[in-house]
Amino acid sequence: MIKKDEVLKIAKLAKLSVDENEIEQLIEDMSKIIEYADSINNVAETVDVEFDNINNIVNAFNEDIVLDSYDRDEILKNREGGENGYFAIRKSIRG
Amino acid sequence: MSYELVAGLETHIELSTNTKIFCQCTTAFGGEPNTHCCPICMGMPGTLPKLNKKVVEYAVKAGIAVNCKIRNISKMDRKNYVYPDLPKAYQISQLDKPICYEGYIKLSSGKSIDINRIHIEEDAGKLIHERGGTYIDYNRGGVPLIEIVTEPDFRSIDEVLEYLEKLRLIMKYIGVSDVKMQEGSLRCDVNISVRKKGEEKLGIRTEIKNMNSLNFIAKAMEYEFERHVDILESGGKIEQETRRYDSELNITESMRGKEDADDYRYFRDPDLVNINVSEEEINRLKDELPQLPDEKMHVFMNVYGIPKDDAELLIKYKKIAEYFEEASKDIKNKKLASNYILGQIFRRLPTDWEKEECGISIPPEYLSELISLIESKKITSSMASTALEKMLDSGKSVREFISENDMQGIDDDVLKEICMRAVSENQEAVESYLGGKEKAFSSIIGYIMKETKGKADPQKAAEIVKEIIN
Ligand SMILES: [Zn+2]
Repeated sequence: MIKKDEVLKIAKLAKLSVDENEIEQLIEDMSKIIEYADSINNVAETVDVEFDNINNIVNAFNEDIVLDSYDRDEILKNREGGENGYFAIRKSIRG
Repeated sequence: MSYELVAGLETHIELSTNTKIFCQCTTAFGGEPNTHCCPICMGMPGTLPKLNKKVVEYAVKAGIAVNCKIRNISKMDRKNYVYPDLPKAYQISQLDKPICYEGYIKLSSGKSIDINRIHIEEDAGKLIHERGGTYIDYNRGGVPLIEIVTEPDFRSIDEVLEYLEKLRLIMKYIGVSDVKMQEGSLRCDVNISVRKKGEEKLGIRTEIKNMNSLNFIAKAMEYEFERHVDILESGGKIEQETRRYDSELNITESMRGKEDADDYRYFRDPDLVNINVSEEEINRLKDELPQLPDEKMHVFMNVYGIPKDDAELLIKYKKIAEYFEEASKDIKNKKLASNYILGQIFRRLPTDWEKEECGISIPPEYLSELISLIESKKITSSMASTALEKMLDSGKSVREFISENDMQGIDDDVLKEICMRAVSENQEAVESYLGGKEKAFSSIIGYIMKETKGKADPQKAAEIVKEIIN
């Protein structure tokens, strides 16, 4: 069972604000998710999980050859504020 | 009570690949903001990163050059943190299977600084603070880095500086990075703690982040060392924290304390497949490495007989070292070649940059030819100096300035005749020399050199003159 302070820590890391009255429900939901994920521990380990190849593919590489980047207008399309080709940071999330 | 400094280093080096680590945007420095970007390096949903092959090759080369073991199978992990310079809210890095591990760099004292690991990761974008706002340029986001992590083996600031100079030179020699500190392609985090001399247990450490000048690193370490000692001496406790160095005030200040200790929730990046580097591949990359600075130093000093300080100057600039090797290849007196390069030639390359680029107007074969004429006694060294100046001015070979006739040298009888004339024409100088004024003698020799257009061997002339007047 996940604990209240763990929920609050995760919320903090994710930069989310959590209301006191949401915590009970979050504890219940998150515990279920963890329980579900934990079921993988019951699967017999027959391979080195750490290095199990994804679909047996290794070394999928790019060659070191420059291709065109995107048009800047495309890159900046979803920005809020900003000027002279820069993104701007909203004050509330400034580090 | 005296305290001992204990420090470890994390050095980030930007690799000089053409393209970024997971996409094919250029890594070129500068450029208009946000013009070297694409959906992959901007971390847009649904994009698939693919590792740049050169990044693996460069990281392996760097590892071999600092005596690391290379891992045959490694992988990439996600390091999660929320900061505006990181559009994905995670950095792709390596946690528990770094590509290189357990190496070392030897300092001139013979002491080894152990390297714990070298891993591959991506650089973040750049924050620009101005006019009360903060702006972001993501051109640097996704530029490949290697991070080289040492054990806490440093006991003085000088050791740190020597290590960094060595590391920089090695990376430059093997060509994996331009290591330009002012452009941020080499940046350092320093871990510092202090303990009373003789004590075994390590003190509580603080970390000073992101410094890109040797001068700042030295000053920040000095400040932080004294801060630790002051706290301990006044009975306080060091707080484990991350700090930044303010170069204007010359202080370090807290960035975030222990209560906000990093929790990066690392996990394997499921978008990226394993990296396999076979033994054959490692050997191939090893074969591609040039002779490293330490080996060159050894050869220059012990085989070529170049004094230590001179050898260090030659090796400091890779292209100069190679020029010297070319120029001295076919001559016996290699020190002579070194002397001409460090003297007359270096005078024409006053800046570090010019030496770095080795902008010498004559090819090394011309210098070699000039020196072999001295060695075969066809010209005197004063003739050679004069000719070298003309060669450097024009980029032409010595044959343009010294004819076969000049190279005949001076017949002994002729030299004697000129010496006799020198004595009779410089009676005043002769008298004051005989009266005890040593200096006057050089004006007589000067006369002879001028008369012979530098062709006379000054030592021989001096002997003859002394014979005549005594
Ligand atoms: Zn890109």
